[in-house]
Amino acid sequence: MMVLAQIVLAQSLLEPDLGLIVWIGITFLAFLFVLKKFAWGPITEALTTREQNISDSLEQAEKALTEARQLQADNTKARREAEAQAQGVLREAREEAERIRTVEVDKTRSQIQQMQDTAQSEIEREKQSALNSLRQEVADLAISAAEKILRENLDADRQKKIVSDFLKDLPKN
Amino acid sequence: MIKRASIFVLLAQLTLLALPRGVAASSDDQEKFDALHHSANAYYLDIAPLDPIELPRIFIVRYEDGSYGLNLFRSTSSAILNGHYVSEIDAGHGGEVQGDDHEVEGDTHAETQGGITGEITGELIGEITTAQLEGHLVPPGGSHVVLDLSISRHLFFAWLAMGIVLLIMTRLAGMYKKGIGRETAPRGLFQNMFEGMVVFIRDDIVKPNLGDKTDKYLPYLLTAFFFILTANLLGLVPFGATATSNLMVTVVLASFTFVFTQLGGTKTYWMHIFWPPGIPTFVKPILMPVEVLGILTKPVALAIRLFANMTAGHLVILSLIGLIFSFTNIFGSGAGYGVAPVSVAFALFIYFLELLVSFIQAYVFTMLSALFIGMAIQEHEAHDDAHQEQQIEASASPEAEPVFAN
Amino acid sequence: MDPSALAFLGAGLGAGLVALGAGLGIGKLAGPAMEATARQPEATGDIRTSMIIAAALIEGVALFGLVICIILATK
Repeated sequence: MMVLAQIVLAQSLLEPDLGLIVWIGITFLAFLFVLKKFAWGPITEALTTREQNISDSLEQAEKALTEARQLQADNTKARREAEAQAQGVLREAREEAERIRTVEVDKTRSQIQQMQDTAQSEIEREKQSALNSLRQEVADLAISAAEKILRENLDADRQKKIVSDFLKDLPKN
Repeated sequence: MIKRASIFVLLAQLTLLALPRGVAASSDDQEKFDALHHSANAYYLDIAPLDPIELPRIFIVRYEDGSYGLNLFRSTSSAILNGHYVSEIDAGHGGEVQGDDHEVEGDTHAETQGGITGEITGELIGEITTAQLEGHLVPPGGSHVVLDLSISRHLFFAWLAMGIVLLIMTRLAGMYKKGIGRETAPRGLFQNMFEGMVVFIRDDIVKPNLGDKTDKYLPYLLTAFFFILTANLLGLVPFGATATSNLMVTVVLASFTFVFTQLGGTKTYWMHIFWPPGIPTFVKPILMPVEVLGILTKPVALAIRLFANMTAGHLVILSLIGLIFSFTNIFGSGAGYGVAPVSVAFALFIYFLELLVSFIQAYVFTMLSALFIGMAIQEHEAHDDAHQEQQIEASASPEAEPVFAN
Repeated sequence: MDPSALAFLGAGLGAGLVALGAGLGIGKLAGPAMEATARQPEATGDIRTSMIIAAALIEGVALFGLVICIILATK
């Protein structure tokens, strides 16, 4: 009995069973096609779509980040440029001011010079005229003194006295 | 955590409950237990305390007059009682059985059976015995079965596995179709778990081996993985049977891989088999049969590996349980009770190991299928260099090649 | 002695030898794999994958032997 049962069992464990092969073959093939059409197709398609989406999003984010960086760089550059420009303007203005100041100073200086010159010449002229008038005066005085001397025509002491009197009468300066 | 553990313990207990009928059977003379019993295919579903559910028997029969016919029976007992079929065990007399194959088998049976013909074997259920539910049936008269398309236990569980996978995957696909997981993140345990597995197979198994041909072979490899995994796990469920512990099922799966490999084979692949380049001409005819053998050993190894792994685990569990009965028979019932906790503890350990093996074998089958297909479809670049190396390898150990190819 | 006893004996011895060979093979495989993992913990995943594949190949050969033993035992 035992041997018999074992024979039967060994048979069904390793014995070729064509019916089972046919059944499994057909149904597995059908199973494969049905799954491929209704399960793996949509699933893998969805997974691919999602992965595509994610990678696209990442790419976009990367691009946005690059753009933002670019923008920031541009801004910084623009600011620097503006600053540099402002600096330039300031420097220019300063230079202009300096120039104007120099010019003004020069002008003033020359004016002063001119005024000095004018004053100098005026003084010179005045002095000249004063001298002239003094000379005239002295000449006149000499003449008048000489006239007095001549008119008196006195002795020498008298003359000397006259001259010294005259000289005493002259103003001190 | 505790809750989960208790569920596992419960599962293990249920598995023990669902032990084959052989345990309960034939208590008259001796406690008998046969581990092979459970792993073997049969034509009924074993729901232990209840009567077994008989499965339909379908036969394509060639009658005595040479015409063919289809015989359908609701169950084995109906085939025996109404169809006048005879169980091969009962029809031990070689003379009565006719036909090419069965004549030979009938003869051997007649010899081994000797005087016990007619004796009732197995447990009596209704009007037939379990032994009758396990063996082949022989049609009456001079007709003989051409193709036995009966729904067997393993076929039933293979279909159940297909059904479960189909249900899960179409539901998963439905979620994606609704847009969950397509535009948004995947939601919930169900979707995350299965998406993780699908993505793992695609990115870690298929893509490294198949490269840009991934999309073409991915459906098959996914199908194979989930079918094998589900069938393996069904064997660990109480009252379940492992469809993948049947050599026929694994052979069909392996032959699918074989066909895909050969159909996808490039010119280089075939050239490497029939006229391996870079080798002296006189060696080529020697190498050719080796290469051809190599093609065949790959799927054979695939089939045997899956079958043997799934069978061995169950045999070990049942043998450990069987120790209880052996001890009872040899040393008395005290020893039986004594060894029972040890046996059950070991069986539980092997059970968990089986759980691991279920995943590993599904993974290994898919991985190796992808590897074989990938080897066949890859286009060789840099021809000369590669062949120089191959020449060295091949000349060093031509015989060793099919072994490595396993 | 019943001649089939020799077949049972052969099957038992064969199963033992198969286990011995497979154990040796997988042991030889797992040892260096552990070492490699210890040396390069970042490559743990890759090492585990190739270890499982190689172990499955060894196991496949061992199971061929087991099938022969089953055939012998049920002869």
